[in-house]
Amino acid sequence: MSILEGLKFYAGDTAIHKLDPRVKLLVSTIMLIIVVMYAEVWMLTILITVQAVMAYIAKIVRRWLKTIRGSMPLAALVFGLNAIFFISTDTHATLQETLYYSATLAYRLVLFLSSFSIFFLTTTPEEIGLTLTSWRVPYPYTFAFISAIRFTPIIAQELKDIMDAQRARGVELDRGGPLERAKKLIPILVPLLANALRRAYELAEAMEVKCFGAAKKRTSLRELKMSAKDYVVLLMSLLLFGLAVYYKLLPILFQG
Amino acid sequence: MIRFDNVTYVYPTGVKALNGISVEIGRGELVALMGENGAGKTTFIKHLNGLLKPTTGSVYVNGKDTRTLSVAQLSRIVGIMFQNTDDMFFLPTVEEEVAFSLRNLGFSEEVVQRRVDWALKFMELEKYRKRSPFLLSGGEKKRLALAIILAWNPQVIAMDEPTVGQDNAQKEKLKEMIKQLNLQGRSVIISTHDVEFVAELRPRVILMSRGRIVADGRAEAILTDGELLSSCSILMPQVAATVSRLADLGFNTKVISVEDAIRSIVDGLRRLEHTRGA
Repeated sequence: MSILEGLKFYAGDTAIHKLDPRVKLLVSTIMLIIVVMYAEVWMLTILITVQAVMAYIAKIVRRWLKTIRGSMPLAALVFGLNAIFFISTDTHATLQETLYYSATLAYRLVLFLSSFSIFFLTTTPEEIGLTLTSWRVPYPYTFAFISAIRFTPIIAQELKDIMDAQRARGVELDRGGPLERAKKLIPILVPLLANALRRAYELAEAMEVKCFGAAKKRTSLRELKMSAKDYVVLLMSLLLFGLAVYYKLLPILFQG
Repeated sequence: MIRFDNVTYVYPTGVKALNGISVEIGRGELVALMGENGAGKTTFIKHLNGLLKPTTGSVYVNGKDTRTLSVAQLSRIVGIMFQNTDDMFFLPTVEEEVAFSLRNLGFSEEVVQRRVDWALKFMELEKYRKRSPFLLSGGEKKRLALAIILAWNPQVIAMDEPTVGQDNAQKEKLKEMIKQLNLQGRSVIISTHDVEFVAELRPRVILMSRGRIVADGRAEAILTDGELLSSCSILMPQVAATVSRLADLGFNTKVISVEDAIRSIVDGLRRLEHTRGA
């Protein structure tokens, strides 16, 4: 549940909030690429430290930590599945190596989620929409995407309400074996899906009433404009990214 | 029956929804929880069956601390009907929905069938027993939610905003059901903004504001105190607001029903006539 909280925008007046959303998205994407490129713990630790500094500047440390906490079950699953896979197959790796590799995979997953959490926590759905529109993504797709983001916290709240309603009927969600627990998800997921479909239908009607799609070319009240600060952050990020790529490719170049 | 002992509840977001609540609700009492949005009414209700546990203080149900019992155990004693009844439904038919809770609570199949029949009859839903709950009207859904709860015969029934989205006829039906349940000896707690609905039920009113109880007493006393109600963003019932204008003439203004208003006006006029005659 707390992982979904990481997709919710929290208003603020910090330097991170004021950054151009395209720059923030680029920084998050760069972090993602580095996470994919590097499995070394030292680099992953540098990245999480950078993220922690960004979260501190944006005054969202508590919410960012919530995302990290929320991603732990998923990370534990990745760790467990990898460890089981490597141990059960003949990979010639020692137990220590297997555990280390599984741990770094889980660490990378946490980093991946937390880097995008900073972007979503400090960027309004409107800014995300403007970013996609500036990249010439057709508006109906942009609208669908920002609606999904906007409705995520609502669905999370609804999930809580449905769980409460079912628990009040005697459903003990945290009891029983895995199969029994999976069966108990039906009373949760069916109302959630029914409510989501009803909301989608209502949203479609509301959009039609507001003449959605009537004009082929849309105008926007606010346009994105890069400031000097944005360019500085952009250049620094690209520079650090270049260094990370160079450092990774260095051994390969020397081998060649 | 139910006792809140200096209960404070703080949500993980840091919002203090209940702030030092101490109150007792006895067996067979009819109670209306009133207050503005965010006053803490729903949080209060969720403490009754342990969905929420107090941050500090304690809630006792039949003398037992809610921290020591599971939600399922407490639900046997306290049935809660939530505002959005759609959150409850997931089965293909009305009768299966009622049976589901009974099976969860461990009733035998024979008892399940008997109680399903009784609850559907009591809530006048027999003719819909094979229908999908999603195809019922708003009022029928509320009645189904109540049937689901009544089937396991809880001692306390709590309803969160039961009149929202209900038309007049549905409200009348709901009002009669509540009275009947109360007459059967059950404690009924309703959380609502609907002052006219409360005025007709004449319950004990617990008025909440910003997580605190600001008034607790009979409906006639609280719903005629305009200043108190307005501090909680609640309007007086229309009857009480009308009669309150006759206070200068010495009329009894502690009235919340049409019958009492007529009596107050007739008595007042008689008194005036008598005074003039004298």
